[in-house]
This record gives sequence, C-alpha cells and structure tokens, in this order.
Amino acid sequence: MTFIQLVLSGLALGAAYALVALGFVFIVNATGAVNFAQGDFVMAGGYTAIFLTSTFSIPMVLLLPLVAVITFVMGVFLALIAYFPLMRRPPATVFISTLLCGMILQNLFLIGFGPQAKSGPALLGTGMLRFEGLEISRQSLATIVVAAALIGLQYLIFARTQIGRRLRATAEDRDMAEAVGIPAKKLIAVTFGIGASLAGIAGALLANQYFVSPTGGIPLSVFAYIAVVIGGWGSLAGAVLGSMLISIFQVIVSAYVSYAVATGALYAAVLLIFLVRPQGIFSERVQRRA
Amino acid sequence: MRRNSRHMSTRARFLGGATGALVLLTIGSAAFAADYYFPIVMPITGFMSVEGGSQRNGAVMAFETAKNVSVEYPIFDTGTSAAGAATALDKALSNGKAIAAATTIFGTEMVAMMPVAQDYKVPLLTISGLAKITESGNPYIFRFLPNDREIKVAHARYVKEKLNLQKPALIGDTTAYGQGGFKLLRENFDKLGIKRVFEDSSIAPDTKDMTPLLTKVKESGADSIVLHTVAAPMALIIKQARASGMTIPIITSSSLVEPTATALFDPAELANVCAETPSAPEARATPEMKTWADAYKQRFGIEPDGLALGQYDSVMMALKLISEGAKTAEDLGAALQKATYKGVAMTYKSNGHGDMAHDADIVCWDGKSRVPGIAAHYAGSELVLK
Repeated sequence: MTFIQLVLSGLALGAAYALVALGFVFIVNATGAVNFAQGDFVMAGGYTAIFLTSTFSIPMVLLLPLVAVITFVMGVFLALIAYFPLMRRPPATVFISTLLCGMILQNLFLIGFGPQAKSGPALLGTGMLRFEGLEISRQSLATIVVAAALIGLQYLIFARTQIGRRLRATAEDRDMAEAVGIPAKKLIAVTFGIGASLAGIAGALLANQYFVSPTGGIPLSVFAYIAVVIGGWGSLAGAVLGSMLISIFQVIVSAYVSYAVATGALYAAVLLIFLVRPQGIFSERVQRRA
Repeated sequence: MRRNSRHMSTRARFLGGATGALVLLTIGSAAFAADYYFPIVMPITGFMSVEGGSQRNGAVMAFETAKNVSVEYPIFDTGTSAAGAATALDKALSNGKAIAAATTIFGTEMVAMMPVAQDYKVPLLTISGLAKITESGNPYIFRFLPNDREIKVAHARYVKEKLNLQKPALIGDTTAYGQGGFKLLRENFDKLGIKRVFEDSSIAPDTKDMTPLLTKVKESGADSIVLHTVAAPMALIIKQARASGMTIPIITSSSLVEPTATALFDPAELANVCAETPSAPEARATPEMKTWADAYKQRFGIEPDGLALGQYDSVMMALKLISEGAKTAEDLGAALQKATYKGVAMTYKSNGHGDMAHDADIVCWDGKSRVPGIAAHYAGSELVLK
C-alpha cells in the first residue's frame, strides 16, 4: 500500500512536470530550439497567482485562466525578443538567448517579490481526501485533474483542429508552411505563448505546496529537458511519459533509498539514455534542435 | 582682443567656480565622511536569503540607531555560497579600512570567511550557530547567538522534558549547519535516553518534494518530528506534513522563527510547531524587547525575529566599544574578548573562544497567529548536558 501511495504522490508532481515539459516540446517542435526559460515561466505563473489573489481577491475559478492568459502574453513577448531576431542564426544562439531571458526574469522576480520564497493559494482548499487506504491532498488532486484536462485539450487541438494542423505543419517544415500560405511566424509566436502558458499554470498549481522563489525555475527547466530526453525529442506523449517516470522514480528511490541516491541515479539514467537510446522512448520526429 | 579677453574671463569664471565647487565638495566630504568602515557581508540572495535578510536588517538598524559613532556600512551579498562569501568578504575588507564586519549566519560561509578574517586581522560579528567556527582557534570570530553545542541542548531537552516525547523522527539537511546540528541532537538525545525511530540527514536544501521523507516518517510511528535544517526545506517539510494530514508536534531549529518564513503558512498549519531561538523579540516579553520590536516593525514593516535582534545587539556592542576607545580592528577584537554588554536580548560575554551568547528560548505557535509565544527559557548551565 505504501508503494501505491508513493506512486500516487509521484503522479501529482509528475502531472505538473508534464505541463512544463509539454510546453518545452511545443517550442522544440515549432522552432527546433530549446527554451531554457521554461522553468522561469513556472515561477512567473506562481508569482502571477500570488499577485492576483493578494491584490484583487480573484476567485479560484478565474485564477488559472487569468494566469494562463498573462503567461501566454509573456511567452509571445519571449518569442519576439529572443527568437525571431535570431531565428536564422545557429540553434545554440536561441538556446543562449532564452537562457538569458530566464535570468532577466529571475532578477525581475527578485526586484518585484524579494529573494524569499512565497506560498501561493490552494486551489481546492487544504485537507486530505481518503479512499481505500490511500490518501491525497486536495491540492495534489487539483494538480492531477487540471494537468490531465490540459494534456487532453492540447491533444484535441493538435489532432482535430485546423490551427492544430497548421501548428504541426509549421513544426514539420516552416519554410514549406509559409510557401502554402500558413502564417508560420504568427503560429510560432502562439506556440511560445502556449508553452509559457502551460508552464505558468503548472506554477500556479505548485506554488502552494512547493512555493515559488526567484531561482526556483532552474531545476524545473532541467527536469523538463530530462523528461524530453527520456520521452523522445519532439514527442508530446513522450514528454508526458518522461515527466511521470522522472517524478515516480524520484519519489520511490528517495523513499526506499535516499534523496541523494535518487538524484544521482536520475542523472546516471539520463547519461545511459544518451548512450544507449539517444532518441528516447518515443522516436524523434524533429531532427533540428539545440 | 576684446573677444579673447571675454573668453578668458568666461574661462576664469568657470575655473574659479569649478575650484570653488571642488573645495566645497572636499569640505562637505570631510564633514560628512564616516569615521569608521563596517561592512555587512551576508546572504541576501539564495536559499539563506530569509535568514540573511533578517540579520542584515538587524545590523542596519543598529547602525541607524547609533548616535556617537559615524559609520559607513556597505552591504555585500554572499549569494549563499562558500566561494561567494570568501570573495565578498575579501572585497569588503580589501581597502584596509574595516574596523569589523557583520557577517553571515550560514556556517558553511563562515568557514570560508574565517581565513580571510585572519589575513586582514578584522573581527567578524556573526550569528552563525555552527559549533566549530569558535572551536578552531581563530581569534577574530565573535558569535552573538548561542553555539549549536548549547542551543541543541535546549532543543533536545524541550522535546524530552516539556513535551515528554519518546519517539522522534530526527531530520537534518546536507549543509554544514544541518549536519552539525543533526550530530549534536543525536548526541543529546542519547544522553537523555531518547531513541529516534527515524533519522535522515540527506535532505539537500533545494529539495522540493518531501513526500518520500514524510511517508517514511509516518511508517516509522514517530510521535514527533525534530528538524535541524535551513529555512527552505524546513518550511516545505512543515507545509507538506500538514497538507498530508500529519498533526504530530514538530520542533525545529531557529530558521522558522522569521516572519518571512512564517508568512508561508496559514496560522492553523503552525499549530503544534515549536522552535528553538536565541530570543523571541516578536513575543515582546520585556519592555526593552517591546520597544525594540515596535521600532523594528516601524522601520522594516515586518515582525522582528531573534536573528535580527542577535545581529543588532552584536553591532551595538561593537559600536559601544568603539565609542569607548577601540579605534582599530585590533583594539575592537581585544575589547570584544573582555567586555560584558547588556543588550536587548540578553547579556553578552565571551567564553574565551568568541562565544558571546549563552541564553536560548523555545517558542511555540498556537495555530491562531503567526507570532509565537515563549514556551521555555534555558540559560547558563541548563545548556550543558553531561
């Protein structure tokens, strides 16, 4: 029963990681570049939630949509300043530019909110839900439900809608997409927006029990990167699966061995994947990447 | 010619004005120049920023309060790293003017700073609890917080004697501070005959998910959680323990007794939580504490804590000794070794090794307010276990 309880706990954190990794993959697919400001958008979402609830007494039902919209705009802005001016340069240039934007965001958080950690609002209130000997906090349940809904929604959008098809076409071959009349640049900006928005929602979900701090996004960017390496570059399903695997692996190894071993083993596993199966669990769809 | 003469006249007026301004500036600088240089070198960013912010506030308040001594007190950020601390202190002392420095609470950083202090022969006034910093023979270290060797006695005794708990889960982090306190608590629990049902000192300060740890604590049947960690993992452990329905007592080290840390919680989440602290000015238990705490709150807009008060008292003691005749870093170091000073929190006197503070409080939260009350006070021989 303890093992199942640990898996359940790992799922909640993995669901939030999955949102971060999904946004990461969207941008990789659309541009071929890695967005290393993704973790900082998680913090941006958390800080936005804290600001909105403390300043305007926003009802919880409106909080996530508002966070999504605000971080979407931030993501589009990131595309305008860190991607489009450099899009014809080598992919590493964009990687560095997003990293720099992440650092700028960290310093803005520092100026705006101070260096100390902050706790965000609890979306479903506090307390535990119990079922058949298993228990889960309301906040963790909210994280799983929201993440599942968003993952399902993005699948529907990409698989069943015209904009989804255009986004995929842009990801496959930007120049060809433009040649057939698809506004590729606008769609890339939208992709940055969606990626940031998913990270922002993850931040709003995590801010209550995991807090936010100016540099708290750095490890999340690394986790997103690892999830994508494990799951497979360019694979949306792989990003979700990779996130879940990382989270459950860490929870279980930390519980049965130690935190230090869990962290070391995770990085060793990534190294092994680089050596043995560099394409990840799911095969690579997009070759060009930073 | 006339034009040239007018030009000369303009230039002469300009030069005269500039010279006059320079003279005024020099006179002004002399008039307003500080008599002493006393840098503040603390973790303003990074995972110790909560603690560092408190001690910086305490030091700043002391400098602002001082009336008889004019001091320049630039602030240097260590960034919560050993290398950053050594570099920042070296930069702070490199002009050769410092009479002393108010330095980091973080033991790991203090260890890195100690050789720098020895090189420059400048006293460091710290509130770091790490036992070994005053046990290594460095004559420039002065600690205005009880040595962990003493305050961990209060921590362990409160668990055993006041709460009557017998099966604690003991948790430490991987910092030098966390490891040192964890070891001392183990020794003290052994002396008090308390067997831990669970121990873990492998929590990295940047660990976010405490679920595995708390699951093991639950499985162990622990009747309490005893924490000795820096603020970041401590707050997450308490937050996630309460969110997972664990209501057992949690007795922590002093990092929790800071308004920026308690602001992370709803008051109800702090029910059944206690912490050791050198003092608890936020409880306003004495008229002096109340006056000081009110002034602090007015100055910084937040409740004070024992760390801020410890650093305040340290700087005030140094300023008093300076005003009484300690004109150099060497004079001040010698005076700090001998003097007795009655501060707001307690009376300070060196034990010969630079340990100036020998009092400790245990504070507890009632679940209704973020301001704790004093539950126990330990001093002198009460802080020694044989």
